[in-house]
Amino acid sequence: RHPLATFFHLFFRVSAIITYLFCDWFSNSFVACFVTILLLLSFDFWSVKNVTGRLLVGLRWWNQIDEDGKSHWVFEARRVPTRAASTEAEARIFWLGLIICPVIWTVFFFSTLFSLKLKWLALVIAGISLQTANLYGYIHCKLGGHKSTSRATSSFFVTADVPKRQERRTPDHTEEHGKTGTR
Amino acid sequence: FAGLADVSIAEDIPVEGEITVPVGSHSPDEDYSTLDEPVRDTIMRDLKAVGKKFVHVMYPKKSSALLRDWDLWGPLVLCVSLALMLQGGSADSKEDGGPQFAEVFVIIWFGAVVITLNSKLLGGTISFFQSLCVLGYCVLPLTVAMLVCRLVLLAGSGTVSFIIRLIVVVAMFGWSTLASTAFLADSQPPNRKALVVYPIFLFYFVISWMILTFTPQ
Repeated sequence: RHPLATFFHLFFRVSAIITYLFCDWFSNSFVACFVTILLLLSFDFWSVKNVTGRLLVGLRWWNQIDEDGKSHWVFEARRVPTRAASTEAEARIFWLGLIICPVIWTVFFFSTLFSLKLKWLALVIAGISLQTANLYGYIHCKLGGHKSTSRATSSFFVTADVPKRQERRTPDHTEEHGKTGTR
Repeated sequence: FAGLADVSIAEDIPVEGEITVPVGSHSPDEDYSTLDEPVRDTIMRDLKAVGKKFVHVMYPKKSSALLRDWDLWGPLVLCVSLALMLQGGSADSKEDGGPQFAEVFVIIWFGAVVITLNSKLLGGTISFFQSLCVLGYCVLPLTVAMLVCRLVLLAGSGTVSFIIRLIVVVAMFGWSTLASTAFLADSQPPNRKALVVYPIFLFYFVISWMILTFTPQ
């Protein structure tokens, strides 16, 4: 349903990685490559955070500063998730793109460190921080939405345990009494 | 509380519920509309916020716009343009300015992070990203100074041009430091203000020094 958003979600991330890998083919200038990759990473961060997250999976996170200057990080999820086949495919593309790219930038970090091409290190660190920030924010949104379902399942299991516990209680009556004084 | 030590909740009573914290300005209707707003609105809103902050830096009145809705786009643009303009000075021509460019970047961002940590350790109430935002936006006068210096250097590099550049850089340095302390010093307790202002002074001094000592190839 949102082909343009899906395209742009992947476009900036993948272009940044490709430019980093093949920058020697595009231009001789370190500065041009650095600025291009940095701009691509920044556009990717903004578009994933503000646009593709809410269009593709209905999640959003932001920082809010209230009256007395304290900052809150707010994570929210759309309440009624639509379950069409196209939405599932878009969600899968979203999460795959979100997870794989920081891993690739971490690999670049180690390769830059060990091959001692330290002038790229600042850029790789910037890439890792921007992409991991989005990954962390969206995982937090997603887990925040799932917390209510996990609590519901745990309460279901606990109530199913009740008959067994009451059966066990009569032989262990003295122990129980010691532990739970008011019973 | 000793009497509560032997109280226990029976484990077969399910304790669950949903706690929703009503967040100040985001009523459900507003949430719905910004969650589904067209992309163009998002872009325009963010661009306008960035533009408003640039204006606030040039005229540093006491306003909370720079602090409340922080963003780091302005600092990124300023940092990149300053690094581009500072590049290519007093280096060999076979190095294509690589390390210098990354140096300016690292100095600006690492310096801003250190100042922010310093002010937080001194008990400031401002948040990490707000402080980075203010420090980054207040680099604007120095970027203007760099532009002016480059133009003056096109005309010539004698004593007169040095004096002009010195005056411009000192004026912009003063402007940057005043603008950022106007925003940041309020969040500190009164007897710590000098301890917070001093690293900001150093930070902009280092940037001004880089600008002033720039000599093109």
